[in-house]
Amino acid sequence: MDFSNLNDAERRHMEQLVERKQMKDFVRMYSSLVERCFIDCIDDFTSKAVSSKENTCVDRCITKFLRHSARVGQQFAEENAKLMQQ
Amino acid sequence: MSYMFGGNTGAGSALGQSQGINPNNIAMAEQELDMLTDTFNRIVDVCHTKCIKNKYPDGELTKGESVCIDRCVSKFFALNKTVGEKLMAQQQEMQK
Repeated sequence: MDFSNLNDAERRHMEQLVERKQMKDFVRMYSSLVERCFIDCIDDFTSKAVSSKENTCVDRCITKFLRHSARVGQQFAEENAKLMQQ
Repeated sequence: MSYMFGGNTGAGSALGQSQGINPNNIAMAEQELDMLTDTFNRIVDVCHTKCIKNKYPDGELTKGESVCIDRCVSKFFALNKTVGEKLMAQQQEMQK
């Protein structure tokens, strides 16, 4: 997405908007990742401490999600570019 | 979502038009941005559910998962188009 149809003032306005939205989007991603990895990794409630096994799982869950998200990003950009060319 | 904004180095800013802000332009750009972000987030969600099956021998994507993700994203786009076309056709039908 570019803002080439906007003038300088509008573009500056959009850049600020994008910054705010990125912050909001990050918070959204954060909480959804907590939820996802909690569901996938935490199922032992015999103790209130997160076990080392669970911790390892969470570690991998986060790494894997970030790799997943990056891959989707690449493919998304490609498909979106194709769409824009039409 | 930073990849959406790559390459915007301000080309075309030398057009010298008046520098007021047209709320319509902003609203349109914002709507497009929101739609892209929303679609991206949906795809991340849905393709994670569909493709990430190995929980979690390690943090790397397997070959199979990677292929699945690529196809999943493409299919989501394809479906987006199909649904759009069908809805449009239906709407035109109703206007007749």
